[in-house]
Amino acid sequence: MSVSGPQADTPTEVESPTTDQGSQIRGMSPRQLAVSRFRRDTGSMIAGGVVLLFMLLAVLAPILTKMKILRPYTFNSDKLDVNNGSVPKGALGGISWSHPFGLTPGTGTDVMSRLIMGMTFSISIALLAALLTVALGTVIGIIAGSSGKWVDAIIGRIIDMTLSFPQTLMLLALSSTLIYQLERLGVPKGNFARATYLILVLAAFGWPSFARIVRGQVLSLREREFVEAAHVFGASQARIWFKEMLPNLWAPILVYFTLTMPAYISAEAALSFLGVGVKPPTPTLGNILSDATTYYDSDFAYFIIPAFVLATVVVSFNLLGDGLRDALDPKADR
Amino acid sequence: MFAYVVRRLLIGIAMLIVMTLITFVLFLNNKEAAVLASCGKNCTPAQKVEIAKTFGYDQPVVVQWGKFLKGVVVGREFPDDPALRKSSPQLVTQCPPPCLGYSYKSAALVRDVMKDTIPVSVSVASVAFVIWLVLGVLLGIIAALNRGTWVDKIIVGSTLVIFAFPTFFIGLLLYIFIALKFGWVPIPAYISIADGGIFNWFMGLLLPAITLVVFYMAGYVRMTRAFVLETSTEDYIRTAKAKGLPARTVIGKHTFRAALTPIVTMAGMDLALVLGGAPITESVFNFNGLGKLAVEASTQYDLPINIGIVVLLSAFVILANIVVDIAYAFIDPRVSVK
Amino acid sequence: MTKYRKSLAVVAAAALSVTGLAACGGGGATGGGTKTLYYLTFRPTEHWDPQRMYIGRDLADSSRLFYRSLVSFPVSEDVTESTTPIPDLATDTGTSSNNGKTWKFTLKDGVKWEDGKAVTCEDVKYGVSRTFASDVIIGGPNYIFSYIDAPDYKGPYNADAKGQAEYDKAVVCDGTTITFNFSKPWNDFPLAVASLRSFDPYRKDKDQGDKSNYAIFSNGPYKLKSAWTKDKGGTFIKNDQWDPKTDTVRKQNVDQIIFQEGLTNEIITQRLIQDRGNDQYAVTDRNIPPAMYGQITGDVAKRSTQVDSPFTGYLVPNFNRMTDLRVRQALMMATDQKGWTTALGGDKSAKPSSSIVNPGVQGYAKNPAFDKMGDFAGAKQLLKQAGKAGYPLIFTYSSSPTADKAAAALKEGWQKAGFKVSLNPLTDTYYTEVQKRNLKSDVAWGGWGADWPSVSTVIPPLFDARVNFQGTKSNGQDYGNYNDPKAHKLMDEASAAALADQPALYAALDKYIGEQVAYIPLDVTQFYMMHGSKVTGYMQTAASNMYPDLGSIGVE
Repeated sequence: MSVSGPQADTPTEVESPTTDQGSQIRGMSPRQLAVSRFRRDTGSMIAGGVVLLFMLLAVLAPILTKMKILRPYTFNSDKLDVNNGSVPKGALGGISWSHPFGLTPGTGTDVMSRLIMGMTFSISIALLAALLTVALGTVIGIIAGSSGKWVDAIIGRIIDMTLSFPQTLMLLALSSTLIYQLERLGVPKGNFARATYLILVLAAFGWPSFARIVRGQVLSLREREFVEAAHVFGASQARIWFKEMLPNLWAPILVYFTLTMPAYISAEAALSFLGVGVKPPTPTLGNILSDATTYYDSDFAYFIIPAFVLATVVVSFNLLGDGLRDALDPKADR
Repeated sequence: MFAYVVRRLLIGIAMLIVMTLITFVLFLNNKEAAVLASCGKNCTPAQKVEIAKTFGYDQPVVVQWGKFLKGVVVGREFPDDPALRKSSPQLVTQCPPPCLGYSYKSAALVRDVMKDTIPVSVSVASVAFVIWLVLGVLLGIIAALNRGTWVDKIIVGSTLVIFAFPTFFIGLLLYIFIALKFGWVPIPAYISIADGGIFNWFMGLLLPAITLVVFYMAGYVRMTRAFVLETSTEDYIRTAKAKGLPARTVIGKHTFRAALTPIVTMAGMDLALVLGGAPITESVFNFNGLGKLAVEASTQYDLPINIGIVVLLSAFVILANIVVDIAYAFIDPRVSVK
Repeated sequence: MTKYRKSLAVVAAAALSVTGLAACGGGGATGGGTKTLYYLTFRPTEHWDPQRMYIGRDLADSSRLFYRSLVSFPVSEDVTESTTPIPDLATDTGTSSNNGKTWKFTLKDGVKWEDGKAVTCEDVKYGVSRTFASDVIIGGPNYIFSYIDAPDYKGPYNADAKGQAEYDKAVVCDGTTITFNFSKPWNDFPLAVASLRSFDPYRKDKDQGDKSNYAIFSNGPYKLKSAWTKDKGGTFIKNDQWDPKTDTVRKQNVDQIIFQEGLTNEIITQRLIQDRGNDQYAVTDRNIPPAMYGQITGDVAKRSTQVDSPFTGYLVPNFNRMTDLRVRQALMMATDQKGWTTALGGDKSAKPSSSIVNPGVQGYAKNPAFDKMGDFAGAKQLLKQAGKAGYPLIFTYSSSPTADKAAAALKEGWQKAGFKVSLNPLTDTYYTEVQKRNLKSDVAWGGWGADWPSVSTVIPPLFDARVNFQGTKSNGQDYGNYNDPKAHKLMDEASAAALADQPALYAALDKYIGEQVAYIPLDVTQFYMMHGSKVTGYMQTAASNMYPDLGSIGVE
């Protein structure tokens, strides 16, 4: 199964003939229209609110940890039952007022603190990878769409090839050798190199889908008057790319970015399960969840809680992305 | 048409060749690790040199790649070191074409190691594919026809929520509750049709298949729904409706026909991906498929197997691409083939 | 011997039995009167080639079932008895002369291979020679290199005349008598013969190098029924050419033994708890996962056993970087053994240890150098005295979900003493990395089990820089780059001494390197395993590296 890339984007050789994304409604400016449409969409507004809340928590978590309000690294070995595989003493994985989500078996760290701190790391990784994906996709897509036949064809083949690699397997199999190479290049050892690897490879396999979308947009923009006008007035190629084309691409960029985030958060979890990614004690949503999977029997609360937190994050990002898409481009629903 | 197919196949082969080169460069950039993985823990520097020679790791990556390609076309012999083959013919393993390499860790040809795993992956994939395709498209149409109602919201909402849980979690949940605690299905295990008949084969792989269905279906529901909605506002559908054609005919004949193109694209690509094994699902359910083999080869640093799998799966996807494009020409008259 | 490593895909949940499905016609022991024992396991056997094996479990199982050695360990629950070799292929336990440099064994008559041909002296000589083919026979122990002086010998596959002559001089066959002429004394050679499979006979006409990796050509009570499949396993049936009159070690307790590989610890444990169908006749070498300890109660607990494994976990400070003894001492004092064992799963997974030597090894003694472990305040003070408060410490270890937690526990403790700790978890590059002499790491984890039950296979292989340092880059297994002439002198004295005097000398050696903080002991790994209800004669013995002893186990 694929672990990255918004799953709605399937590689296709032929441009889908039914999506004409060039159309825009006149009258109000497109931006005003979009904002007003989004405001009317209660579901997406709520999702947006939840996403903001998560982002805020993610930003604040390191500060809260410094202030010792969150204690993701503090051991409570005394609250564990050493005769019973070191699962927390007490019902429901040691849930109490001071540990609302219980304790981690083996270490006794506070699960809630770890999940919030885990959000910081998971969201940071997904954010950087998504930014890189969108940036690469945009630049390459613009170049492909507005250059000559040859450049376009070569980029097209590179895109095809990148998408033809079995992603999950590549991410897994390459992890040890490429992390090693990163460390040789001076990336700090350990989790920093691992996170860097995740970000780089997620983007490396993620950009082609978006480059295709951008290329399609650019192809249709190219025929539009203002671009032709710029050509006539002798604007440089770079100017046309980045001053004329780019501002017209912000809608797909925003939508794609918002939908890539949850895909990468899920990907981080899936890869953690396969043993690739950031290692404890640094928490990520993925490594907490994959640790939790062994405790389905002896600590059911710990098994279930991280999964629900992760799902909530992913769902709210997805809803927000859908809402943005509906608002920005009501006709193209995918 | 024939010329188009030939051209596409040629381009596909060229792509595959480039991809194998990239694979070799990526996987063999760390020679030392490759050697050490085979060498065990108390390995002297002299031993490392000898092993590198036996396995051929001492040569430049491009040369190793060339030998691999040659092996695919005309076959080759292992161990790689010609002097050793000559002095001790009893050690030689013949690898007839198409040779995908020899795994020293499994003491077997890569092709033979993969051979047993393919039926497992293909079985799970094909059952899952049929379920998710039928169910996904059906639910998508139902949702579209009931746009805005609670039916629509439940369908769209639940697929979104279930999709948000990681595959391994869903798989485990199914495993623990459906199979273990409630005992509604037998414990998942792969039983070939020859061994247990079609019923046991199907029941054995039901849960892994459902896990894959959950992962893949959401996309189909959403896409079918979107395209049915979109095309229903197009002129020709409106005309059809205005003509007084019954709703079923309109949806069945016109709307669905238009939505078919992107669904075929997506289905073709997804099928190619999932046929190549589902590493996470197969690991969770302990199915000895291509995906689990890939996970194990990665953990054990079994490079020849990793490379073999990457090449095979890439070929799958490239082929699927071509098939999808050709299928296009039949489904959608607007796409013309040069 | 190599550690078992936990799989990344340990998940796989409960899952009871695949039985009824997998084994149609099954019926366990009762069906048709065929007594079948099942061996459920996870980790695929890497080699069945005697000269390539180096995993404790495989060494033990193959010795009990199909590979006979010159001398072997008897089946016994008594530690001393089960670690004292008795004659097997040879008529006695060997005679040494020339101060332990020459060893002579005479083969018994009537011992046959599975095709009925006699096991000859030439077979033994050929088997031993295979280890020298280090480009083909990869992965096995190579102690022999330091005892046999044959620098030009490249093994039987591409030997030149000069190398062959060197080998022929060192290992001599005279009728049924084989003589080993070593270049230095090897007083515990019979222990090595009984523990490893390196000195087992091999039939030249059956040798196909790497292709023979999973081929088994038996001279013991069982033989392979059909080809072994990696990741699945194989079936062993009675070998009719085996004559019990020639063998005082082994028995044919059951009619067949079926090995099933690739089952996770969770699945195995769940199946054995359920105890249904064929699983009643099953044993395993896999531990009960800590998350399932809660289910081991009542009658189920009666079918579980907990013993000390031959493995110990330890830490080694990097002597290239941690040059100040006080800093190493502070590190040792601040090492939280209890946090470590708790994170590994508690008392049933790991017990705190007080030496790198496992209690099961002859000559084990508690090392007084580590009495002060767990004194965090004292460690903090010592670090301050050394002027190294805030010392940045990089900890390198082999990562697994539990190891990650356990490493976090050590980090906690060290930080209490004022170290600034960063973790460096490694997966498949672990061995590559820790063997680098210039590794940017201050302390590394190591796991070890004695190759044979003597301190001589614990401390020298891990701390003798003279054998470990290879070239300029590798430290072999001396991960801490510990290179101390005084320790070398103590090692030489101990190994040259008579067997009876060795324990005291090794204890002194252990104490000395402990005072230098060449290592910090962590835990004695526990074996906590289940077996089926219809298994008889169940025991885990030192002779079988504390795994289930297939020399004793039968079924109802």
